[in-house]
Amino acid sequence: MLRKRLISVLTFCDGVLFRTKDFTPDYRYTLSFVDAWSIDEVVVLDVTRTDAVARPAFDAVIQQFASQCFVPLAAGGGVRTMEDVRRMMANGADKVVVNTGALERPELITEIAESYGTQCVVLSIDAKRQDGGGYRVHANCGQAPTDLTPAEWAKRGQDLGAGEIMVTSIDNDGSLEGYDLDLCREVTGAVTVPVLIAGGAGAWKHFVEGIDEGHASAACMTNIYHFTESSIRSAKTYMAKAGVLVRQ
Amino acid sequence: MPETVGIIDYGLGNLRSVASAVEKVGFTPHITGDPTELAQSSHLILPGVGAYGDGIANLQARDLIAPLNRMVLQEQKPILGICLGAQLMAKSSSEFGDHIGLGWFDADVTRLETGDPSLRVPHVGWDEVDLVRDCPLFDGVPAESLYYYVHSYCIVGKDSDAVIGECNYGRRFVAVLSKGHMCATQFHPEKSQQNGLTVLRNFLTHFSCCANG
Repeated sequence: MLRKRLISVLTFCDGVLFRTKDFTPDYRYTLSFVDAWSIDEVVVLDVTRTDAVARPAFDAVIQQFASQCFVPLAAGGGVRTMEDVRRMMANGADKVVVNTGALERPELITEIAESYGTQCVVLSIDAKRQDGGGYRVHANCGQAPTDLTPAEWAKRGQDLGAGEIMVTSIDNDGSLEGYDLDLCREVTGAVTVPVLIAGGAGAWKHFVEGIDEGHASAACMTNIYHFTESSIRSAKTYMAKAGVLVRQ
Repeated sequence: MPETVGIIDYGLGNLRSVASAVEKVGFTPHITGDPTELAQSSHLILPGVGAYGDGIANLQARDLIAPLNRMVLQEQKPILGICLGAQLMAKSSSEFGDHIGLGWFDADVTRLETGDPSLRVPHVGWDEVDLVRDCPLFDGVPAESLYYYVHSYCIVGKDSDAVIGECNYGRRFVAVLSKGHMCATQFHPEKSQQNGLTVLRNFLTHFSCCANG
C-alpha cells in the first residue's frame, strides 16, 4: 500500500536556512538529517527577495541536498522561466515547485511537463479565506489576491500538466493551530493528482487530520519540527498509532 | 582507465541524483551520451523521468539505439533501467499515442488506471515491492522494504520469468524485471534511501559481463 508522506519544507534566504528558534538562527538542521531521519521527501524553497536572476547561494543549496540526500528533492521559489527550471534540475532537483510564475504565465506548467514529465511539476497554491466565505488564490508570497478559487486553479493546473498540488493556507500559516482542512478538501475534491497540505501544523495530530480529514496524500511541515533528530520518527510513530499508513 | 558506471545521458531525467547514488555505494559514475564512452564502462544505467515518446525520440536523435542494442544484446553489458528507463526497455507504450520501445523485455507499458478515485495518479511516494522470485538485486534488503515511486504509466509483463517483483496500486503492475544481465526497476533506487542504495550496490556488484549472460 502506498504510504502517506511527511514532507519537510525548508526555506532559504541567500542560501541560509531561514528558521529561528527563540528568535535566533538555528543551524542544527543540517544535511545529515536526511539519511538518519525517516523524512519521505524534501522541498527547498528560495525566499530571497531580490530581482537578481542568478542565485548562486540557492544553487549551492540544491547541489548539496542532491548529492547527499537519497530521497526526492523538490525545489522552488521564484521559478518563472524554463531557464529557472533547467538550472534547478541541473543542480539536482527531482521536481520543481511553481507558484506565482504559473499564475503569471500558466503555460509554464505545460512547458515543464513537456520537458520533464508531469511528475516534475508541483503547483503550489497559496490561498486566503474570504470574508464572505470561500477562498481566493494569492500570488507573490500571499501579497497579491487573484480572482481564482483554489479549486479552479488546481483543476486548471492539473489539466495543464501539474503532477501534484501543494496547497497552503495563508491564514493558518505559522499559527501552529492546524491546517485549513476545508481548503484542502476543496482542492482534493477538484483534482485527481496527489495533494500536499501545508500551512499551520503545530502538533502531530494535525498531520493525521490533514490526511484523514483533508484527504491529502502528504502532510508538509515547516520549521517547528526541525528541532531534534527524533522529531520525524516520533511524528511517524504518532501517525501510525492513529491509523495512518506511513513509512517508519 | 578505471572502470566506470556509464549513466546514459539522453536529455531526460535527473542524472545527477543517479550519479550521486552510484558514488555513494563506492563506484565511479560517468554521465555521457557518447556511445564510445558508454562502451568503455563496466555497467550501464538508463535513468529517466518524463514521457515515453520523448525518451525514444531522444535516444534516436542521439544515435544511441543501435550502439545500446549492440552493448546490451551482443556484448551483454549489465544494464539497469530506472522508471522511464525501465519502461523504455519494454516493447511498446500507449503513452500519448503508440510508441515502440527498445524491446529488451517482453513487456508493455500502459497507463496506470487504478479504478479508485482515492488512489490518485501519478502514483507518488513510498510503496512495496512484492518479490515473486529471488534475485540478487535484493540481497540483504529486508522483506517488506519500501521504495520511492513516481509514475503515471506502468509496465505489464508478458515474459513472466523476467518478473522479479510487483506492486499493487489499484492494479498489479511490474515493479522489477531482471533477465540475465538486464535489470529494470519502476521505483527509483537513487531516491529510496538505504534500501535503494543496497539495490544499486547489488546491481553493480552482482551483475557483470563475465558472471552473467
